[in-house]
Amino acid sequence: MNYRSQTSRTLHDEHVATMALLDRVEHAFGRADGSDPGIPTLARALARHLDHELGRHFGFEEEQLFPRLTAAGEGDIASLLQEEHGTIRAVAEELLPLVRTAGERALDAAEWDTLRRGMPELVERLVAHIQKETMALLPMLDDVLDEDTDRELSFAYASA
Amino acid sequence: MSLGGGTFLAGAPSRLLPASIPFRYFGAAVVFHIAAWLALAAGAADAPRFVGGLGWPLAALHLVTLGVLAMTAIGASLQLLPVASRQPVRVVRAAAAIWWLYTPGVAAVAAGMGAAMPRFIGVGAVAVFIALAIYAALLASNLAGARGMPVVIAHGWASLASLVATLATALALAGTYLGVVVIDRGAALALHVAFAAYGFMGLLALGLSYILVPMFALSSAPGTRAGLASLALAVLALLLAGAAAFGLAPVALRVAAVAAGAAAAALHLRLMAVALATGMRRALGLSFVLVRVGWVLLAASLAAALAVALDAPFDGTATLFGVLLVPGWLLTFLLGILQRIVPFLGSLHAGAAGAAVGRKRPPTPSALTAGRPLAIHFGCHVVALALLATAVVADNRWLALAAGTAGAAGAVAFGVFFAVAVRRMGGGARAA
Repeated sequence: MNYRSQTSRTLHDEHVATMALLDRVEHAFGRADGSDPGIPTLARALARHLDHELGRHFGFEEEQLFPRLTAAGEGDIASLLQEEHGTIRAVAEELLPLVRTAGERALDAAEWDTLRRGMPELVERLVAHIQKETMALLPMLDDVLDEDTDRELSFAYASA
Repeated sequence: MSLGGGTFLAGAPSRLLPASIPFRYFGAAVVFHIAAWLALAAGAADAPRFVGGLGWPLAALHLVTLGVLAMTAIGASLQLLPVASRQPVRVVRAAAAIWWLYTPGVAAVAAGMGAAMPRFIGVGAVAVFIALAIYAALLASNLAGARGMPVVIAHGWASLASLVATLATALALAGTYLGVVVIDRGAALALHVAFAAYGFMGLLALGLSYILVPMFALSSAPGTRAGLASLALAVLALLLAGAAAFGLAPVALRVAAVAAGAAAAALHLRLMAVALATGMRRALGLSFVLVRVGWVLLAASLAAALAVALDAPFDGTATLFGVLLVPGWLLTFLLGILQRIVPFLGSLHAGAAGAAVGRKRPPTPSALTAGRPLAIHFGCHVVALALLATAVVADNRWLALAAGTAGAAGAVAFGVFFAVAVRRMGGGARAA
């Protein structure tokens, strides 16, 4: 996907990495039991993603990008995406304690069942959100951001 | 590079029709879908060699074309085109009024055809004609002010022109039942089939694919130049078929029309294949298996069209062409897409309505999707198509009856999926 702005390209790269992680999560946590030996490593990667990368990504969009979209007359899509951020944060907060635990020790049957039931919702909401951002937000940024602003934003995001 | 659904999604909340508008069209299509397979079963004795004339096979054909394909196309395009063309929704009352005119009109036309009652056909055809004329005016008004998505908009214009040709030839055909002959019946029939199936509904399906396939697969939008080239070839094919219908070097022009149509389809399918192969979301489920089956049958319908043009020495050639074209390509493709659109639009509407009443989280599309009915529908639909094609090849009424029965069972399962989605939307749909 060839975006003009560096900001769009950076966000797109993060989406690709997130999709790859979600693909692995979907397969590993879709199984009936938690016997996959790769679960602890995957759970730690997911916890790190939900704890840090998701917040950084969402925060950057909410503080730097959505106000610019609104000013450019695209407030509808900005508010739609912001609402989805709230929903995804809520789902992630519910799952995070068990995801962290799965990274530290083997879950018992009840814990695994809770995590297995909750994971598809998190994956689906994140995929749908990436879908909307990839198709709506990133192309719009190419139109909305001039070269100087794009450079400033991508530098600020990289150093945050 | 712009992406498939960028302009589609932008501004979506303010450009959504009330849920009751598109969903009433989808709901009617679900009911007519069941009725179509039942009508086929009722007319099973004549179906394997059906090439026209009053009776239940003709009713089944129009229940699919008018009742399912055009009904869904109206509901989907009234919702999708304003968003794709960056136009505000201005037509809520007209969109609702069309349904009230169109739905009983289709029922009357189908009942009149099945029971061989020309008066019913006449009354129903007037209602359908007026409804489609209003729809054509709404479509033209929307397309005239369109911005962005040039491939989708160009397909919309070509589909609209085909709709006008379809309506004109439908009037001419209806006139023959009342003893009024405007143009030769054979010419009118050839024009009607080409412009209704490949023109109006086919071009609308191809055009909306440029929005929907990249959106669900998370891929780049297909190239504008290639999309417009595919459209130009399709329009050329229709014009050649139209000229052939008037007796102008019919065999040569029909063969040329099939060649142009095949080139258009090949280019379109190549663009869709690239979109699916390069998309970030590869697992698209049973719905896209149906879409792919539909695409294969589009190609098969063109091969059958060539056999018709060359007057192949087999009695069932024309019927087989119709089976591959209407339930094969158009219906299969549409049912695949519809099972994605219903939960997608449902979750957007339920989310907006839920937010208004303080509900914590909107439902996900999968939460609105009943998987088992869709799996049953998939199996029944594929079996029904295979049985119907075999019934034509073997000229066997019992196989046609089995096809109608399997298709009706699948259509009921699809109806269950739709009912579950609407029920799970809950307050969202009612509030809208």
